[in-house]
Amino acid sequence: MRISRIVSRALMGIGLVLLTGTAFGQNITLGSWRTDDVAKWANIIAAFNKTNPNIMVKFDPTNPPDYNATLRLQLENGNGPDLYFSRSFGVGQALFTAGFDLDLSDFPAIKQAFAPGSLLAWKMDDGKVFAQPLGAVSHGVYFNKDIFAKNGIAVPKTWEALIAAAKKLKAAGITPFANGIADQWDIYEIVLSGILANNTGGAAGRLAYEAGKRHFNDAAIVNSFAELKEMAPYLPKGFEALTYTDAENLFKLGNAAMLFDGSWELPDIQANVTFAWSAFAIPPPAGKPAFVVFFPDSAIAINAKSKNIDAAKTFLTWLASPAGAKAIGDNLVGFFPMSKAAVKLDNEYANTFLGFNKGTGQDIRFTWSKLDAGKPTAYSLLVDNANNVLKGTVTPKQAADNLAAGLAQWYKPSM
Amino acid sequence: MASNRKTLEVDRNLFWLWWIAPALAVYVVFMAWPLFNSLRLSFYTGTGFQLNNFIGFDNYRRLFGGGEDSVRFLGAFGNTFIFFAIHMLVQNTLGLAFALLLSRKTLRGTAVFRTIIFVPATLAIVVTGFLWKLLLNPQWGPLNLILTKVGLGDWALPWLGDTHLALLVVGLVSSWQWVGIPTMIFLAALQGISDDYFEAAAMDGATPWQVLWNIKLPLMRPIMGVVAILTFTGNFNAFDVVFAMEGPNGPPAYTTDILGTYFYRTGIAGQQPVGIPDMGLGAAVATVAFVVLLIGVLTMQYLSRDTSGGRK
Repeated sequence: MRISRIVSRALMGIGLVLLTGTAFGQNITLGSWRTDDVAKWANIIAAFNKTNPNIMVKFDPTNPPDYNATLRLQLENGNGPDLYFSRSFGVGQALFTAGFDLDLSDFPAIKQAFAPGSLLAWKMDDGKVFAQPLGAVSHGVYFNKDIFAKNGIAVPKTWEALIAAAKKLKAAGITPFANGIADQWDIYEIVLSGILANNTGGAAGRLAYEAGKRHFNDAAIVNSFAELKEMAPYLPKGFEALTYTDAENLFKLGNAAMLFDGSWELPDIQANVTFAWSAFAIPPPAGKPAFVVFFPDSAIAINAKSKNIDAAKTFLTWLASPAGAKAIGDNLVGFFPMSKAAVKLDNEYANTFLGFNKGTGQDIRFTWSKLDAGKPTAYSLLVDNANNVLKGTVTPKQAADNLAAGLAQWYKPSM
Repeated sequence: MASNRKTLEVDRNLFWLWWIAPALAVYVVFMAWPLFNSLRLSFYTGTGFQLNNFIGFDNYRRLFGGGEDSVRFLGAFGNTFIFFAIHMLVQNTLGLAFALLLSRKTLRGTAVFRTIIFVPATLAIVVTGFLWKLLLNPQWGPLNLILTKVGLGDWALPWLGDTHLALLVVGLVSSWQWVGIPTMIFLAALQGISDDYFEAAAMDGATPWQVLWNIKLPLMRPIMGVVAILTFTGNFNAFDVVFAMEGPNGPPAYTTDILGTYFYRTGIAGQQPVGIPDMGLGAAVATVAFVVLLIGVLTMQYLSRDTSGGRK
């Protein structure tokens, strides 16, 4: 430990001498869970260096499932990166509470470039901001335009129309939905969270549950599970053992008409599909207003113990500028910049997903804000019960009751 | 003078200590100390990775007290026993059968069969797990395609997604992979039995069945104990095959959740979406697993002790 520290100090010293000696600038590292995005971040950083040639940013991602634990360990040992991706809500708040994140409440870029709503996911209860929003993701239903046209199906505007379309496709011998449940998370995070937003009434509805004004087994939740159950007959054969990747492949091969998936898979679908396709928002029940899950996915925090805080702030300020927002949206296709700067994205499909937000309400996934802070988490309750509803081992009513009973073990409604 | 001589004598008597010191040091640093430390950690809790809050037996209370943690822990515990039973019944029985067949002097191509049986054990579980996952895929897996082709479409089940089948299927894949190990151990044991016994039995007119029951199996009893202990420790430390084929949550509905995956979720990776481990609880799980292993191994050692009185 001590030797490694001496060695790293020595190396840092040598690096510093080299840097200042050649007037090269400053090196900062950016920790992330996006191992897939190394090349894309190289583009973003290149765009940044056009106006700031003296700051070298090193994008240094960690394997996604290990990110939270690895980052925490690095920060506790004092060798965390200068900047790092911050998780939304509770997980991110824990790092601020422990004193690792720099307080960004008065950071000019945060105050000027972001709407208060965009900051919610990286705010403490007392209003302090601990990270600058980077990108949001959207959820929707990818569909095969060729199959839709051949079977005379229009883009469904209501849940009922969606199920009717599925029924028609199945009768024609086509697998309507490509999704499976072997990986568990996707059915809740993508499918059920979209259904829940439509049924419970978006952010206002969710806050009413969190405040204890509505019960977790009320009619809206039961109906959400019931809608999920309606999908079961139209999933692929053997969906119980079909993984997330399997489902994407089924859709990409043209063997299924529709796929519930996130905007983050957009570049992959675009690169691997030969038929005409597009996407639509997960439709609400007939006669109800539509809500879209526009989920604050990532933000960047500054390490309070960093020696390069000024350089880190310069980088964040640029990311919040219109040029930065455009670089984010065009390089990280499927992730949408969250600053107020209105940018026109180059990718038409990305614009399609962004178009879901027009004339609808937006909300986060149901559980993220407060309901995962105790055990059992609402997350695991929804994942388990969504899977069981699709298998037919619990009814929608039982699923909602399980959710309410599980949360009753620890969750105390708060304002 | 006299006292000096005495210390020399003591030194000479304890000289052996120097010979085991290097091994002892390695053992203490890499085995005994971590084991003791994880025992200690099981009485602590804390935020993140700093465990500095002493809470007595609270972690154990959570594991056995009937709440959310204990449902998952006891479920994983039960599944581990089923997983162990599958290996004892399938892997070790097949291993014994293969060893008996391979030890027949009349069998041709022994080397080929031996290689075929042992090859899976040399492959990484990530590879074999992935391979079997592909073979068992409900949409394009060859197994279900063949079943459908021969008119057994109803048997084309979602093998890894069925709550009644998943653990059995994973257990069988693991047995397939490791069957070579007990086969080789049993084969070595069989080949170690003196030919005198078989000659004497042949002269007395013993049937092959009698030879098996009265000579081969009794003389292999200590080795069977060793194999049982290896299987037991192997299964209570198993993790990779479930992780490779089903993921860390033991789906479907926690039916393939074994101690290894449960420990991984609590002690190392944390549970989605939070992903911060509860290391104190993880240490408690590890300690319970250690105690169970200790009791199990001692029991098996006692049951399989050599009762032949050194007749071999």
